[in-house]
Amino acid sequence: MKRKIKRIYLDYAATTPVDPQVIRAMLPYFSEKFGNTMSLHSFGQEAKQALEESREAVASLIKAKPREIIFTASATESNNLALKGIALANQKKGRHIIISKIEHPCILETAKWLKTQGFKITKLPVNRYGLINLNDLKKTTKKDTILVSIIHASNEIGTIQPIEEIGRTCKEKGVYFHTDCAQSFGKVSIDVNKMNIDLLSASSHKMYGPKGAALLFIREGTKIEPILHGGGHEFGLRSSTVNIPAIIGFAKATRICEKEMKKEEKRLTNLRDKLIKGVLENIEGSYLNGHPKKRLPNNTNFWFSFIEGESLVIQLDLHGISASTGSACSSAKLEPSHGLLAIGLKPYEAHGSLRLTLGRWTKEKDINHILKILPKIIKRLRKISPFKKNFEI
Amino acid sequence: MRKLRSKRVIVAMSGGIDSSVAAALLKRAGFDVIGIFMKFWSEADLRGSWNRCCSPEAEKRARQVAKILSLPFYVFNFEKEFKKGIVDYFLKEHKTGRTPNPCVVCNKKIKFGILLEKALALEADYVATGHYALKHEIKNQKAKSKNYKLLKAKDENKDQSYFLWMLNQNQLKHILFSIGEYTKDRVRKLAKKLKLPVLNIPESMEICFIKTTVNDFLKQHLKAKPGPIVEQVHYGARKIVGQHQGVCFYTIGQRKGIELPGGPHYVLDKNQKENLLIVTKNEKDLYKRELLAKDVNWISGKAPKLPLRIKAKIRYRHRASPATVYYLKSNIYHLKFDKPQRAITPGQSVVFYKNQEVLGGGIIIGPC
Repeated sequence: MKRKIKRIYLDYAATTPVDPQVIRAMLPYFSEKFGNTMSLHSFGQEAKQALEESREAVASLIKAKPREIIFTASATESNNLALKGIALANQKKGRHIIISKIEHPCILETAKWLKTQGFKITKLPVNRYGLINLNDLKKTTKKDTILVSIIHASNEIGTIQPIEEIGRTCKEKGVYFHTDCAQSFGKVSIDVNKMNIDLLSASSHKMYGPKGAALLFIREGTKIEPILHGGGHEFGLRSSTVNIPAIIGFAKATRICEKEMKKEEKRLTNLRDKLIKGVLENIEGSYLNGHPKKRLPNNTNFWFSFIEGESLVIQLDLHGISASTGSACSSAKLEPSHGLLAIGLKPYEAHGSLRLTLGRWTKEKDINHILKILPKIIKRLRKISPFKKNFEI
Repeated sequence: MRKLRSKRVIVAMSGGIDSSVAAALLKRAGFDVIGIFMKFWSEADLRGSWNRCCSPEAEKRARQVAKILSLPFYVFNFEKEFKKGIVDYFLKEHKTGRTPNPCVVCNKKIKFGILLEKALALEADYVATGHYALKHEIKNQKAKSKNYKLLKAKDENKDQSYFLWMLNQNQLKHILFSIGEYTKDRVRKLAKKLKLPVLNIPESMEICFIKTTVNDFLKQHLKAKPGPIVEQVHYGARKIVGQHQGVCFYTIGQRKGIELPGGPHYVLDKNQKENLLIVTKNEKDLYKRELLAKDVNWISGKAPKLPLRIKAKIRYRHRASPATVYYLKSNIYHLKFDKPQRAITPGQSVVFYKNQEVLGGGIIIGPC
């Protein structure tokens, strides 16, 4: 007895399927053009050529120079390199780093580790929409501040920060500005020059490329130390044999996004707004987390009163809909998501949160389907809400 | 098993043979089965060794079984609740010289506590586990209600009803023991027939969150205070015969590990206040006829007419022995065995049986 239900994937913020065009582009680089970029012979040259073309492709999307792109294996790695690399290289100037309260765990944890190494960390608060306050940034940037790292678009609530203004402030204060663009790269336009970005992280698997490829943009002239030492790949900043197939895929995915961005942004924004409107209108006690407009075109995040997110996600899954909860862990009784707490949700509200993120293969009929199913599930779950305690512990 | 359609069951799958077969049987009986793997607490260990109960291998096996049976499968993280409710309780009891049964508390608070709560939130009708036990439903025609009895498993040698005495009617109502009718041998054969990848795993016998031995675990987590070992020569007279490493490392009745000249010696009692370990050379001293029990639970929901003739088990591997149970005061009960029993141990569960039925049980305060 196999369950035969149509599966609808609404968790594009977690990861995305690889676009078939991307797979086709990657295939020759496994067994035919398999060379090592550091080899002198023709196989090596073929690989090197492919690498540099890929570098140009990803650089072009954010208006960077190819020389300013370092390929890594994950956005987590890029973020680690940005924070640790800048901290190590600039500690003579100062040991103060500013981040926000709604960063991805890989920034929060790296900052926490740097703190144990004698660095000072300031975590900027955010308002109820998840936006930082520029005055806070200006006030906390001091003489010994070396780096500001603010996420471009929140992975949880999708809120997009005023990145240009943050960049300008950092430039005025003479501080490096890093932004984690894992969620926004390929979805909204980014210009590292106009936005005064010094370092930028992005990841392939969030935009229809394969897992295992990511990048760190480092503006020319930035003082940074590598954290991986070895054969001197990637301009000496990231030693490791280069993962050519994944990078080829990343570049191809980037080209597709670049071509389709305008159209796709509009299409997804319409679907997003339809979903938001439908949920808020049809489900009593439902609220939108994050900003109604300043948010990623593919992100929705709600909280529902008297609902436990984990049960909701499992119920949806049993109905074929893949979503994720606002909770950061698999148990609703573990710590609630820091991002949702940062925008002022109470722990039980954060536990009742649901993130639905759309993507390239999300159709209007999928949105209609979830709008039909979700109110029913919420209604049933509220009837048997665990908030009415049955058993003591 | 009666064929029930579309009733939803959450099966707690540990990746072991019993819960895997339990899930398979329920699936075969036509239930809407969902597999759940519970992550319990495991000690932080950088060397990468894991306690058996919730190792990545166990999780992998559970997921694999769910896939073979085509069940939806989810992982619940109960680390925090398990640490607080079970591990801390275990340590606290040992610290005060008692010998607890953490599994009893886990069944009440975790498996048939928060897991059941979650199951109900998922619109499940039941939680099922791989416990060897049985449930019997009694329809009360007059009151139009149902009552539930907890019974021993068919395979008396594997019977785990001892660990389930803390359950109440509301919990039993929502529990299915799908392998309680089977012998271990049948279960093993079924697993083989179904090609479930669970045949060559060591049986879980010890406490799941302990990797090596209880004493190693206690040494790591408790500050033990060495003190004198005194020998009971005859009633009331004692002499110091050696030094112990901390009374929590000894269990009543224990012979091994005392290593005093002129032995063997047996642990007779612990005096927590004076940090004394009391031993005897006379094994007969270990036999006592009466005990006091606290926190008594009657599975039916109310105490039967007392005094009552029952059979009682004072530890898992104890043979149920005839006794009479009397009520003393404020949920403390007095138990008199027909014949003296060896090593009545404070902290262990005493479980009351009437034929196959578990009437209830309590925590042993001590012999009296």
